[in-house]
Amino acid sequence: MSTVEGDLLHTVEAGAISANRRFWGRTVLWLSAIWFVASFLLQGAHELGWTDWGFVNWRPVLYAYFLWAAVLCVTRVVIYGEAGKKALFVLPAALFVVSMVVFPLIFALWIGFSDWNLASSTGRRFNGLDNVRRMIADPFYTNALLNMILYCLAIAVEYAIAFGLALLLNQEIIARKFWRVTFLVPLMLSPVAVSWMVGKSMMETRFGPVARLARWLGWENPSFFGDPLTARLSIMIMDAWTFIPFMMIMLLAGLQALSREVLEAAEVDGATKWQRFWKVIFPLMLPVSVTAVMIRIIFKLKLADIIITVTSGGPGGATDSVTSFIYREYRDRSNVGYGTLLALVYLVIIVFGMTVLMKFSDRIVKRMTGRL
Amino acid sequence: MKVEIYDALMRRQTSRRDVLRGTASAAALLGLSGAMGGIAGTASAADDLRAQILQIPGVGKGSPTDADWQKVGELCLGPTKANVTQGEFVGVELTFMGLNNQNLHNFLFRGFLKPWEAYTGAKINWIDLAQADYNARLQQSIATGTVDFDILEMGAPFEGDTAGRGLLDEMPDWVGKQIDADDLVSYLKPPVGTWDSKIYRVTIDGDCHTFAYRKDYFGEGSISGMAEPPKTWQEVNEASKALIGKTDPLTGQPAYGYLDPLKGWGGFGFYFIENRATAYAKYPGDPAWLFDPENMKPLVNNPAWVQAIQDVLDLIAAKAYPADQINADPGTTAFSQFLAGTGAMLMWWGDVGSGARTSDTSVVGDVVGFGINRGSNRVFNRMTGQWEDKYNEAPNMAYLGWGIYVTKRVSSDEKKRKAAWSAAAHLGGKDLSLWTSAYPSGFQPYRQSNFNYDEWEKAGYDRAYIEDYLGSNADSYNHPNAAIEPRIPGIFQYYSVAEDELAKGFAGQYKTAQETADAIAGAWEKITDQIGRDSQLKLYRASLGL
Repeated sequence: MSTVEGDLLHTVEAGAISANRRFWGRTVLWLSAIWFVASFLLQGAHELGWTDWGFVNWRPVLYAYFLWAAVLCVTRVVIYGEAGKKALFVLPAALFVVSMVVFPLIFALWIGFSDWNLASSTGRRFNGLDNVRRMIADPFYTNALLNMILYCLAIAVEYAIAFGLALLLNQEIIARKFWRVTFLVPLMLSPVAVSWMVGKSMMETRFGPVARLARWLGWENPSFFGDPLTARLSIMIMDAWTFIPFMMIMLLAGLQALSREVLEAAEVDGATKWQRFWKVIFPLMLPVSVTAVMIRIIFKLKLADIIITVTSGGPGGATDSVTSFIYREYRDRSNVGYGTLLALVYLVIIVFGMTVLMKFSDRIVKRMTGRL
Repeated sequence: MKVEIYDALMRRQTSRRDVLRGTASAAALLGLSGAMGGIAGTASAADDLRAQILQIPGVGKGSPTDADWQKVGELCLGPTKANVTQGEFVGVELTFMGLNNQNLHNFLFRGFLKPWEAYTGAKINWIDLAQADYNARLQQSIATGTVDFDILEMGAPFEGDTAGRGLLDEMPDWVGKQIDADDLVSYLKPPVGTWDSKIYRVTIDGDCHTFAYRKDYFGEGSISGMAEPPKTWQEVNEASKALIGKTDPLTGQPAYGYLDPLKGWGGFGFYFIENRATAYAKYPGDPAWLFDPENMKPLVNNPAWVQAIQDVLDLIAAKAYPADQINADPGTTAFSQFLAGTGAMLMWWGDVGSGARTSDTSVVGDVVGFGINRGSNRVFNRMTGQWEDKYNEAPNMAYLGWGIYVTKRVSSDEKKRKAAWSAAAHLGGKDLSLWTSAYPSGFQPYRQSNFNYDEWEKAGYDRAYIEDYLGSNADSYNHPNAAIEPRIPGIFQYYSVAEDELAKGFAGQYKTAQETADAIAGAWEKITDQIGRDSQLKLYRASLGL
């Protein structure tokens, strides 16, 4: 059934499209496509040294792509009329995604399997799986991945604290609005500011107030980044201090959306406070909790700024995160090829890990809320 | 002069009378020379000019402004006028890429070059970069073939990335004469600034690490038990161990000895293990101390370097460092520790000596002394593979200072080329350098003539402090066994990866100093292979002047 015949309610223009119009539309589209592909192939051959003929840079190819994209959009209407107009609602966004996400990803793969150190006079060279082999044997990357697991496990503690705070702020306490805003302040601070204020100043071993307090409490020579375990804990605490308010505010919103009737029914049925929490509130909050934890995991996987500023990954890599390691590989060592591969592998791990985690958490939520 | 140093000097001025006396002397000098008119010779005219520019704006009269920079630029145009006729570069447009740190560098260059532009008719467009963006911008421009600047402010360590790849234009002979290149301090003379015996750089700055120590820690009856400050790294370690458990005479806090930064600093932290290593590894007469110039094999795991790492491990084992030292980078050791009264000894650039007297948080201003890098009572001869029991010292010329370079973009246009080099020569002029040494500019002295203490005193500076501060720099610059940094591509990649391995070593993840050094050497070998061993070797040898 054609659009014109079957969907007249949503059709503005129902006129027939002439064969001539279709012909010119297709011709222009094909010409722009040929120009784009030809310029791409020409410049590619030029870059690879197969031909001396080519552009000074890739800019003309980019312009050819823009032209082709514009022609593609216009010819949808020229060739298909009303149906083409409908396509126009989606096509620019699709082209934008292709340009800004799909192409960079493919380009990243191209670079990721290259030996490309910006200091090398030979430029980028395809090196097959060498970067993968190097990554597998790289103790710094493995160490950073293991650290990320530890950092992510700490989210369980963060979640418990955030839930506790959310429950507290959901009660009728004095100056509730003031406390809500106050608890949100750490989230408003830049992690770099937190690094300097807390990590570099308050935890400074000689004059820092935290060090003074530790001394007063009997820790003779306080050192917050001196050994691997303490350093990791210090980083976790600083990161948690910044992001617990984020989880807290999500959970608080969830708590406020809970049905009062259900809670009152539980109370009428004689449930204790603990039973009300564990049997009613917690299961009802699971969907919100899962969302909060998932988003927190994504934030955690990007952890870098505090580490770069405070410990540079030390002592001996104990606090290194994948992102802070990749940052060093890129910024300090201009190792574009290897750094890109590390980032891509990390992306795959994150996508795979998050997918499994979402499936797993979905099952738990269904089971605990009795929807299985 | 670095801003902090200028501020320090201003605080050090004993009285307004001294300033006035200095100003009066200079004014008297100017008046005298004016009265003598034509009788005065060229030398006295030059002296007049130098005295005159040192009064802009005048010592202790606030920070110089753009008007002052332009005035100095105008007064120093003499050498330009000798080589370029008025309006010779009309229609020439040049692009200058440099830094904007602390509102200096390019900001000064703009002022200095404004009269030059007015005289020559050329026009300069500016690319200002923050320090943090500089390396990435430069590397990306080179790697992607998008060099879009004609004149470049650049540190010597990057010469490998630029001159080594044929991106720079060779300096014409007339430029060397105009800037009086013979006046440069010894270590900034070729091979620094050259590749394959061709000169590419107009030097505008000097850099080196000097030794700062607390005078109240040493002397008869001092807590270190040493009558004199340590002369060798062996003594530095002895003093550091002797201070364990003692109390700082100034602050009442625990006393500590030498402050090694044990955390990386974007590659710059490696300069600090170099400070220890040069005394052991830089053999007199042998320019190579980081790589073997025959095959580019790292020397960083030879016994000399291992000894330097072992020295640090010994102090870690002895608990001779402050708590959390493993997390202390060079910025921490200098500004949070040494200046705040923690630790007795430190190696750093010139900033620390001045910061001691200017920083509000500094408590050591009256008890700080300076010297060149410490030596060793034995040195490793890599040619024989043996230690030799003899005193050796090798100041570390860390970073080698800033220079002005001209890119190949102008090579095909002789008029443009001459304009670019004329601008560079103007910025690297002898008289201009006196001004940049004396006032906040972001640059340290770099010429023999910058160390004429009489000139400084006449301008109104405190001579005792100038001699103390500049003396350690001068002695380092002119040292016959100075350790010169190799200017090979990716040098900071080597430093950065070494920092990671050292951090593991210092954290006890490697069993021995040798294992740590071997890990660094292994990582360096990978970088060399990745960048290209043959080209690295060729460029390394060129940078050593071999």
